Amino acid sequence: MKSVVPVFFALTKTWLRSKTGVFFSFLFPVMLLLIFGTIFGGSQSAKLTLHIQNLDLDSEKPTELSHTLIDILESIGSFDIKRLDPTINVSTYIKENPTFTSYRVLIIPQGFEQRTLDKSMAVRIDVTVDTLSHLEETYARFISKEELSGMKEGRDFLNTWKGRVATSEQAEILLLTDEGDTSAPVVRGIVDSVVKAFNNKLIGGEDIINISSQSIREKKMEAADYYLPGYIAAFIMTNGIMGLATTLSEHRRNGTIKRLASTPLTKTSWIIANVLQQALLAFALTAVMIAVGWVIFDVRILPGFFAILLIFLGAVAFCSVGIVLGNVIKDIEATSGVGNAIGFPMMFLSGAFWPIEMMPGYLQTIAKFLPLYYFHDGLRSIMVYQSPTLPTVSFLVLGIFSAVFILLAIKVTKWKEL
Amino acid sequence: MPKEVVVEVEKLVKQYKDVLAVDEISFDVHQGEIFSLVGPNGAGKTTTVEILECLRNPTDGSAKVLGLDVVEEGAKIKKRIGVMPQDFNTFERLTVKENVELVAQIYGVRGKAKEALETLGLWQIKDRKFHTLSGGMKRRVGFCMALVSDPELLFLDEPTTGLDPQARKDSWDVMRSLKDMGKTVFLTSHYMEEVERLSDRAAVIVNGKIEAMDSIRSLILTYGGSIKVLVKGNKKKEARDTLERLTDSVSFDEEDNLIGKFETRAEASKALLSLYQLGEEYITETIEPGMDDVFFNLVGSKVDERGELI
Repeated sequence: MKSVVPVFFALTKTWLRSKTGVFFSFLFPVMLLLIFGTIFGGSQSAKLTLHIQNLDLDSEKPTELSHTLIDILESIGSFDIKRLDPTINVSTYIKENPTFTSYRVLIIPQGFEQRTLDKSMAVRIDVTVDTLSHLEETYARFISKEELSGMKEGRDFLNTWKGRVATSEQAEILLLTDEGDTSAPVVRGIVDSVVKAFNNKLIGGEDIINISSQSIREKKMEAADYYLPGYIAAFIMTNGIMGLATTLSEHRRNGTIKRLASTPLTKTSWIIANVLQQALLAFALTAVMIAVGWVIFDVRILPGFFAILLIFLGAVAFCSVGIVLGNVIKDIEATSGVGNAIGFPMMFLSGAFWPIEMMPGYLQTIAKFLPLYYFHDGLRSIMVYQSPTLPTVSFLVLGIFSAVFILLAIKVTKWKEL
Repeated sequence: MPKEVVVEVEKLVKQYKDVLAVDEISFDVHQGEIFSLVGPNGAGKTTTVEILECLRNPTDGSAKVLGLDVVEEGAKIKKRIGVMPQDFNTFERLTVKENVELVAQIYGVRGKAKEALETLGLWQIKDRKFHTLSGGMKRRVGFCMALVSDPELLFLDEPTTGLDPQARKDSWDVMRSLKDMGKTVFLTSHYMEEVERLSDRAAVIVNGKIEAMDSIRSLILTYGGSIKVLVKGNKKKEARDTLERLTDSVSFDEEDNLIGKFETRAEASKALLSLYQLGEEYITETIEPGMDDVFFNLVGSKVDERGELI
């Protein structure tokens, strides 16, 4: 067993001096992180664009109410508000600007303020009249005749007034959206809730139920936060299934393994040295990815004990698969071919690179049969979500997977009859 | 006093799926000698040596190395032997020194690497990566890795195959020095000249069977055949007549040299003397039989440079 250490160092040096090894294990993942993190990581894309055309003008200036509505829509932070000039004919404008893709236009018609005020006045009058009628009926015994006739006078006066304002039409705003715009329902929902709150305020009501919204995470999750554990997991997987499998196959072909097998080095020590080397590689990759995330994307996540444990399990699991492939398949080309055939689909189907919710249902089902899914999902849960409960399923799946494959690796590795 | 037996092979058989690679061979290797297994490719040399190195299990028969059974006591054997496998290779991106040190550490003999590197004249190039070395230098590293643990017995499987003549001669020097160090060397080769020059004893193996086994001298005496007397240059009729008077076997070779074959050294000397008496214009040469003749006489064909039967 003491031979494990020198062999481990020999493997590590060999790996460090291999340009392709270092490229595919370190630089390639870092490049992908930089590319994807930059594409999906910008804060701009989080806002939805909303064009607003305000036609409710009072001597060329927006009325106070319409102005307030736009201010509120802008202040909630979900929209990137763009104002369209009142002189533009929106339907022609859309036709004339084919690049005006996924248009969402909110039109505030002329008379919006007037109608809104009239309508809210009518509602307030109804409420007041109702209140008076209710008082008269319920408390008639306690109210003097003079007071009662005064209240009736008031009611009559209010009803006459209402007769004047109620003729006004319903105040309406118009939201135009593109049929293919998947964000349209979201936009509609937000505008709707803003309008409701607005209505409520106008009739002087107070919010009875309030949604107090609070993020479950302490910090807003950026794209890079999401990708980081996925990349770490995916490349630990490829290092084992593609990298180690090919290296072992090459060592077997060129006689290095025969050279080692004829020394007192045992098969088990050889396998342990390889597993430890892959674990070290996995930790180094994690460190580099976190450092890049830290410097470039301001991602502040550090793996704790359980994250490191899960990374170790993942490294053991996938390098064992690599050892099995490298020993079972005869030639190097076939080994790397099979490695790629397993590794690449797993990388993309497992959702390591994007949330699996984005994939069709049947692909999501497939993802859950892949060990890589449990690896990156568990890692994300510990590292990014900092979930208080451990991802037991991930530990269980990877634990069983590594146990099975390490035994298989010991079984299929030939130390005789090479 | 009989020498101590370090390798003892008894009716060894190795059957691969559809090939009988080794067919009931038996031999002993004695302490301190260079023993060669000589034969063409596919004769069963590597299979035999790999059984002795505990890299393969025999199908039948028994093999003992240093008194230990190759199947049961492989771990003990491996600690005491040094090996240079066929087509020797090692970690390509490690330096010469790192490769030798790795093996030293596996054998648990830290600190011996420098001495071994110096012995083999590799100290100058100790920091070069293995893959940058020439074929000859690579083999030299192989010798060094086989030697670093100071084993009693070394197995060298075709150590000079594919090397250029100079590198081969360098390897021979290394192997001679191994013998001088008192090591027992088990060598396999298809180069008859190599076997003849280096070994004390040899076994000729063809198709998994040992055709003959003895000291080199006895093998040549028994199977080497006639001594050739060669006459170069101007071939006058008298020369031919002189040879024909002394032997029945007179012929011309591919280069049109006149050749007379004689059974004994005395007859050959007589022929040389007779030719000398004819005058000095005859350039003569005596060719003693060697291992290639032994092989040819035993097997009926020759082995070419690449180890194939022709």
